[in-house]
Amino acid sequence: MGVKDRVWEVFRQEAEGDPMIHGGSVRAPDEELATHYAREFYGRRQESERLWIVPRDAITELDDPDLLKPPFDRSFKRPGGFLIKHKLEAARERAGSAQVDEAGE
Amino acid sequence: MSELDAGTREALAELLLTMADDEFVLGFWDSEWTGIAPILEEDVAMSSVSQDEIGHARALYELLAELTGGNADQIAFGRPAEGYRHAALMNHPRTDWAFTVARRFLYEHADAVRLESLAGSSYQGLADLVVKMRREETYHLLHFDLWLRRLAEGSDESHARLAAAIDRLWPDAQGVFAPLAGEAALVAAGVLPESLEALRARWVERVGPRLVAAGLPVPATPAGPDPDGRLRHTADFAWLHGEFTMVSRSEVGATW
Repeated sequence: MGVKDRVWEVFRQEAEGDPMIHGGSVRAPDEELATHYAREFYGRRQESERLWIVPRDAITELDDPDLLKPPFDRSFKRPGGFLIKHKLEAARERAGSAQVDEAGE
Repeated sequence: MSELDAGTREALAELLLTMADDEFVLGFWDSEWTGIAPILEEDVAMSSVSQDEIGHARALYELLAELTGGNADQIAFGRPAEGYRHAALMNHPRTDWAFTVARRFLYEHADAVRLESLAGSSYQGLADLVVKMRREETYHLLHFDLWLRRLAEGSDESHARLAAAIDRLWPDAQGVFAPLAGEAALVAAGVLPESLEALRARWVERVGPRLVAAGLPVPATPAGPDPDGRLRHTADFAWLHGEFTMVSRSEVGATW
């Protein structure tokens, strides 16, 4: 073993329907043993509904800042950029009443 | 089943004690791998399955204490070495990794056969406990089946060490099914749904093909287990007993 060990990334689901969240990794020479160790490290306390065990070298990584963090302000691409709070206040004033629903920020 | 007669209750107590002691002593031997297992991940895994066995022993000692009016801690730690009733398989020290894997492989399958049968026990407390134990034992079987194959197919040395360990442990492994004093009464009452000899035959049928598949020789099966196997104790076990009772002996009767 040793030199032939691979790293396996383990994803956990805490309850049925929850998203799979990265839990950590284990080192093991093959898929079968990786499954056993993932169970020991991320499931033996009944804390997981489901595990995904993925060899690290099967993961395609993207961390290019030119693609992920371009230097211009692109905040307008975020849906959060469209705040309607002020539009709503203006609408209330025009209507001359405070009865417009409070919701909708 | 409170209507068990005195003789059957005594035999049931013996059955529970033998099962609990098997799990307890094996759990202690294998807990010695903590910190020195082949890789860090296996260190955690081995420590965890050893804890599982001690947990099963605890549940069985508690069931026994309910039956006999004793106390689980007292039964677990308060007996002299000669009072333990583990199978001769558990008399051996940890030895090397191949030896440990060989013993666990032989024992896990013996335990699985025993538990499968006891799931149908007429003694409800035992049947209920066995259902829970079997769910954890599923993983133990998978894990040691896997290690048996790994070492059998690993290097010439791992194969040779494993084959030698299987050969050495084979007669003592039969002893998991050594007959009990009041066994006939237990079978008649349905507490033990089948004789231990029938279970032994099933175990041989189950481990034999797995050894063959792993390319390991199947040792010649003796006509029967040593009937006094559970009464035999070794210097190795006496040492282990000294270890696992060290703290409880340091302040006898203390409340911890």
